[in-house]
Amino acid sequence: MNIAIVSRLIRKDWYFNRVGILASLFAGFVTVGAVAALRRSQVALILGLIVVVTILIGMGAMVMMSAAMERRQQTLPFVMSLPISYREYTTAKIVGGMLIFLVLWGALVADVVATILLTPGFPHGMIPFVVIMAVEIVMSTCLVTAVSVTTESHGWTVAVAQVGGLSLNAIGWSIVRLPGIGGTIKSTTVQWSGTATALLAAELALIAFMLLITFFVQAHKRDFI
Amino acid sequence: MIDTAVEFCAVTKVYKHFTLDQINLNLPTGCIMGFIGANGAGKSTTLRILMGLVHQNAGSVEVLGHAMPEEQATAKRDIGFVSEDMRLYGAATLEWHMGFVRSIYSHWDSGYADQLLRRFDLRAQQKIKGMSHGQRVKAALLLALARKPRLLVLDEPTTGLDPIARREVLGELMAVLADEERTVLFSSHNTLDVEQISDQITFIDRGRILDSSDKETFLDRWRRLRLVLPPNTKLPGLPGVVNVDGSGRLPVVTTNRFEPAMVSACTQAGVAVQAVDVMTLEEIFVASVQSQREGQAI
Repeated sequence: MNIAIVSRLIRKDWYFNRVGILASLFAGFVTVGAVAALRRSQVALILGLIVVVTILIGMGAMVMMSAAMERRQQTLPFVMSLPISYREYTTAKIVGGMLIFLVLWGALVADVVATILLTPGFPHGMIPFVVIMAVEIVMSTCLVTAVSVTTESHGWTVAVAQVGGLSLNAIGWSIVRLPGIGGTIKSTTVQWSGTATALLAAELALIAFMLLITFFVQAHKRDFI
Repeated sequence: MIDTAVEFCAVTKVYKHFTLDQINLNLPTGCIMGFIGANGAGKSTTLRILMGLVHQNAGSVEVLGHAMPEEQATAKRDIGFVSEDMRLYGAATLEWHMGFVRSIYSHWDSGYADQLLRRFDLRAQQKIKGMSHGQRVKAALLLALARKPRLLVLDEPTTGLDPIARREVLGELMAVLADEERTVLFSSHNTLDVEQISDQITFIDRGRILDSSDKETFLDRWRRLRLVLPPNTKLPGLPGVVNVDGSGRLPVVTTNRFEPAMVSACTQAGVAVQAVDVMTLEEIFVASVQSQREGQAI
């Protein structure tokens, strides 16, 4: 594995996405700041979380769709004319995309968690739900990545990103109805239940599975362009 | 120094509606090979297999001493590739692209890149999306040439260019190639483009190599003989006849194994030779394709 060229490809993707990502990050911080400013307002908190979730989904899709975009914009032959193998290209797309996304995701999620913990009036019992939903967004981003890298189809990637975004609401609604999550959501302290742990473990396992599947499919491709 | 830059041995690639069939190709180091075929003949598939971007179903490919596609990353360090369907990043400037490629190729020649910028009349600060198609092709050529590749693979780089831009690109390419000692594989369906810059010619049609030879041999051995047959005289057996056109009394014979002795053979058989026409590469290509499609061996 040529780490130097993989990191160069990652920096290239960062360069082309940097304005959108930084703008999204700024919008996320402003939203969370506004929520913190409107102390004790549950409505502001819910609306703020919806905005942050939307920003994270959009940011993830933007970063992870780059493989499909490279085929659509016909820049893939240029990239593949460079001294790289399929494996290095796939690694750059997945690891690079996830790294860029996770750094920004981490910053925004940490900001939301810190706001809930430090702003008087917000129930700390929300934290497990927020963390589970945040990891759910990572899972959705991994799904977009898997589809984008393996199919290199813009249409399929957009469709999956939309389905992922919509299903997030249904998943959130279902999770909050679980006694181990919804029962403690208004608690003043963080209550980390067995249900929450199991959900988080399942999400992480699915993320690992999707990434492995992506590498497996790529390794068995015979035609790259 | 490796004598053979590219070697295909019985390479086969099967698609649902197209098969690249038993391709054997040999490109000696230092040669400029024109790879001619109609649209859909298999040129791009062959070059993609050469680059390791498409895996062959059977056969072996060796490029600059490296087995493809397994050693493609190593091989591509010494290959410059420009294809008709290749685009650069529209949102970035040519300067960014030059920096990007320079950071990957240790033998990138900045002085040569600047020289090519001037020769191609390009501005490094210009964004790719603001360039004309001709400028984009030149930009892609600059990025491929300044990395100083030992093998340059050009897949229909002049397709889609207007006549002025095509002439400019070809002219600059010829000037660049004239002072270099590198191996070039240049595919096109335009025989005029290929004729100008190549010293080796290969024809491909419907996934099969029809013929491959050096340009001079090609042009020397293909002739069109305009004959006059007296009544009750048969056409003498001539070597390499790929096509006989014209009326019964005034046949026009196309041969790919012309020798001056053929003229005297005709005369001795009582057949008058009105003219022996030199054929252009395009005429040779069309005759090759037609005879292959009609099932004649070339």
